[in-house]
Amino acid sequence: MTENLTNLYNCILEGNVDGVGQNVQAALDEGVEPGEILSEGMIAAMQEVGRLYEEGDCFVPEMLVAARAMQAGLALLKPHLLNTNVQAMGKVAVGTVKGDLHDIGKNLVGLMLEGAGFEVINLGVDVTPDAFVNSVKNDAPDIIAMSALLTTTMPSMDATIAALEAAGVRKQVKVMIGGAPVTEEYARKIGADGFADDASRAVAVARTLMTS
Amino acid sequence: MTGKSKMTSRERVLAAIEHREPDGLPVDMGATPSSGISAIAYYNLKKHLGMDGPTLVYDVVQQVAQPEDAILDRFGIDVVDIGRTFNDRPEDWYDFELPQGMTVQFPSWFHPRKQADEGWDVVDKEGTRVAYMPFGATFFDQTCYPYLDGYPADYKQLPYWMGKVHWAGLAHSPWDHAGEADFWQQLRQRAIALRESSDRALVVVAGCNLFEWGTFLRRMDNFLVDLVNDQANVERLLDALMEQHFQTLEKVCNAVGDVADILRFGDDLGTDQGPFMAPKTYQKLFKPRHSQLTEYVHKHSKMKTFLHSCGSIYKLLPDLIEAGYDVINPVQITSRNMDPVVLKKEFGKDITFWGGGADTRHILNRGTPEAVKEHTRRNIETLSPGGGFVFNTVHNILPDVPPENIVAMFEAVDEYR
Repeated sequence: MTENLTNLYNCILEGNVDGVGQNVQAALDEGVEPGEILSEGMIAAMQEVGRLYEEGDCFVPEMLVAARAMQAGLALLKPHLLNTNVQAMGKVAVGTVKGDLHDIGKNLVGLMLEGAGFEVINLGVDVTPDAFVNSVKNDAPDIIAMSALLTTTMPSMDATIAALEAAGVRKQVKVMIGGAPVTEEYARKIGADGFADDASRAVAVARTLMTS
Repeated sequence: MTGKSKMTSRERVLAAIEHREPDGLPVDMGATPSSGISAIAYYNLKKHLGMDGPTLVYDVVQQVAQPEDAILDRFGIDVVDIGRTFNDRPEDWYDFELPQGMTVQFPSWFHPRKQADEGWDVVDKEGTRVAYMPFGATFFDQTCYPYLDGYPADYKQLPYWMGKVHWAGLAHSPWDHAGEADFWQQLRQRAIALRESSDRALVVVAGCNLFEWGTFLRRMDNFLVDLVNDQANVERLLDALMEQHFQTLEKVCNAVGDVADILRFGDDLGTDQGPFMAPKTYQKLFKPRHSQLTEYVHKHSKMKTFLHSCGSIYKLLPDLIEAGYDVINPVQITSRNMDPVVLKKEFGKDITFWGGGADTRHILNRGTPEAVKEHTRRNIETLSPGGGFVFNTVHNILPDVPPENIVAMFEAVDEYR
């Protein structure tokens, strides 16, 4: 790995937005392949952030700061990626379910998925079952990721899966769910394909779903 | 209650906080806005019990009911909030039909407006939209973040901007009267009258949140980033908040420091998976300030200090104990590292657990009454030996909790008093 990529990796871990920008540019100027910058410098760094979070050595603020730095780098890299054959890991539509306005967890999942090389479509909050169905039809995501913070809005996940089935698109997409009241048992009960209890694990689940 | 009880409710609660085993289990439901019952669950409970009377939605943000005396008596509740002495006239309330079809009572100053999308907006006197409840939801979310775009040059206007945050702008009693000329005198008189007419322990809810005010003013994601990237501005804000909080505490201690038994602070420090921040961040930015707040109360009153702090806070508990809190709530046993057995063993001698008695996320909501009883008994037997425990659910009883399960929970509680 070139020095620029090592620096880029470290700048993401530190959440150093300016450093990320400088090192992405320096790597591009040096002729490093955009795909390599993405995988070696950025995705690898976010993977390390996820690992540190799971081990309890880094917390949500550090994770957010790293993710924001990563996004700044990604914005700079994107035009160059378009000219290459680098494919996204997959496409994920993320949204907080109907009746629920809580988006911190959902946005963190979106950031970590981006950091892992997924293309993320953020459907926002208070997303109706029909809006998820429309996203499947129009955006063709590989995965739908639903979030709920409340015990009272969680049943909307069940309703969304029913709506996907009624619209005849359930088989086109994997469904993963998460959020404070959501459990693995509930995921099984409503027929979701995956469950994660934090943003780092959500990345691992999404990766598994892409290969299953 | 059994006939052998010798302690009054107040003595029972205070004995538990002082780690003396009380004569029976002290019990709370509704003494704080994080240890009560949602209006919908309360309405359903009363219907199930065949009881009449209003459902007073005293905390409009969370849509939480103020339990009436008949309910407090029915379930043997040992502690109440002095805020309940306000809004005691019929004209202080009006009927409101919830989207779920129940008629409850809102404070006369609270008038949400229905929107085209069937959600409800709350707009303040100046026309600022401060809160929104989407269709089908059961509480109001914040919509105005005064420092979203950055920190101000100075904090002269801080109280004004705090008022734009729905938690303050739509404050529950007694704080909905805080602007009135004789408020502090009223607070004292009413609290004394309550103490004279009831032997229940009394709570004054004073908040004085620090981390949470950062998230209310800057929005959660921004403030979390600031904790890492902009600690200088975070500390300036916290110092300005401390000035406000000391002014509040001075008045509270003067008014009711010799009347109320417990002062309830708030600062949610946990997510489901762990603390919001590293212990070293807490130790640097918040612990010294939390310590000053508890020290002030201990020095200027006889009140115990109670901290409401949600989520997985196991890693912060040693610091919170050192910061001087006597009581911790809601003891969110469903979060990571919050096993009540471990909490009692490691911290049971140093702090009182006020909560953790029954899970309001899964078991109360969807368990059978028998499962609720079994769960409740297990938590009581874990947390109550040697005192240091006031029975309470994990946070408010949520709207989807069936009344049969609430009754079952209290039947299990009755076995321990």
